[in-house]
Amino acid sequence: MRWLKENSLALAFLIMFLFAVAGQAVAGTLEFNDQQRADGAEPVSVLQYVASSAFAVNVAENWQSEYLQFFLFVVLTVWLVQKGSPESKKLDSIGAESDHQQQIGAHATTQSPSWAKVKGLRLWLYSNSLGLVMGLLFLLSWLAQSVAGQAAYNSERLSDLRDPVTWGAYVTSPEFWDRSLQNWQSELLAVLSMVVLSIYLRQRGSPESKPVGASHLATGVEG
Amino acid sequence: MRILVILLASLAAAGCAVDTASPARVAERFHALITANQEEAACGMLARKTAQRLPSRGQTCADALRELRLGPGGVVTSVSVWGDEAQVRLAGDTIFLHRFSDGWRVRAAGCMPVPDLPYDCEVDD
Repeated sequence: MRWLKENSLALAFLIMFLFAVAGQAVAGTLEFNDQQRADGAEPVSVLQYVASSAFAVNVAENWQSEYLQFFLFVVLTVWLVQKGSPESKKLDSIGAESDHQQQIGAHATTQSPSWAKVKGLRLWLYSNSLGLVMGLLFLLSWLAQSVAGQAAYNSERLSDLRDPVTWGAYVTSPEFWDRSLQNWQSELLAVLSMVVLSIYLRQRGSPESKPVGASHLATGVEG
Repeated sequence: MRILVILLASLAAAGCAVDTASPARVAERFHALITANQEEAACGMLARKTAQRLPSRGQTCADALRELRLGPGGVVTSVSVWGDEAQVRLAGDTIFLHRFSDGWRVRAAGCMPVPDLPYDCEVDD
């Protein structure tokens, strides 16, 4: 019970994620089959749809943009600040900060992770691991989007009695960039909204907000 | 880690192992039947929607196919398979096929390429 409470945030998002993916699979199958019937083709099962490039590209194009959003947010907030926003660090803390502030090397504590106590490549890797993993997940998801997208696009092109295209032609096609950019713009707008709205608006008790009574000018304060 | 690599390699192999031989065989057989004046059998290889659209009023599918006088297909020069759709290029024709539960069927034949537009086909759905 205590374990559930201590991990409730991750568990809640995991459960909502699974329900959302399952819902996407069912709704996607119904929509796909609607088109199949219109094209004189046979309907597919949910499992067949989940294994299709049509489902894979829809999943991957959303994943890549989410990981891009977090990669940019994690890395850019090292160097860029926003006065009054709890999403920003304090205005005088711009940059990678000192070893003392980051509790690394000689300033590591007994509780510090082992890679924070060493020097060299391992320390550099661990010091940037969140941004690196988010960036890597973005690139892998984007690559998956391009591979699944080419397959889904070519299937559609053949269905329209057109020639299929190569991967190179696909990743420079309007279809690929339309899928990518429509996701990127929404993620960037969501971050912009969060950074700016959190200057003036509050959510009592949330660490994503400043304390309700905090000044609009207070920066890097989370309640 | 090794298990993960094997799993990913298996998935990649499964994903990339596309059967191009089956649609190529169907396309060749379709043209062989037309060349042998067996249009009725060739009609049996068409997708249902294509077979329904082909004949004019009072005409059978075989009559319509005979009337079109599709030239000889010739040898297969390339095959593209994406999902349940396929395109088979023969020396004398380009054929589009769809995979149904009973196998590949011809959706369009007698197709000529049109720049930036869909192929112009004598037989299509």
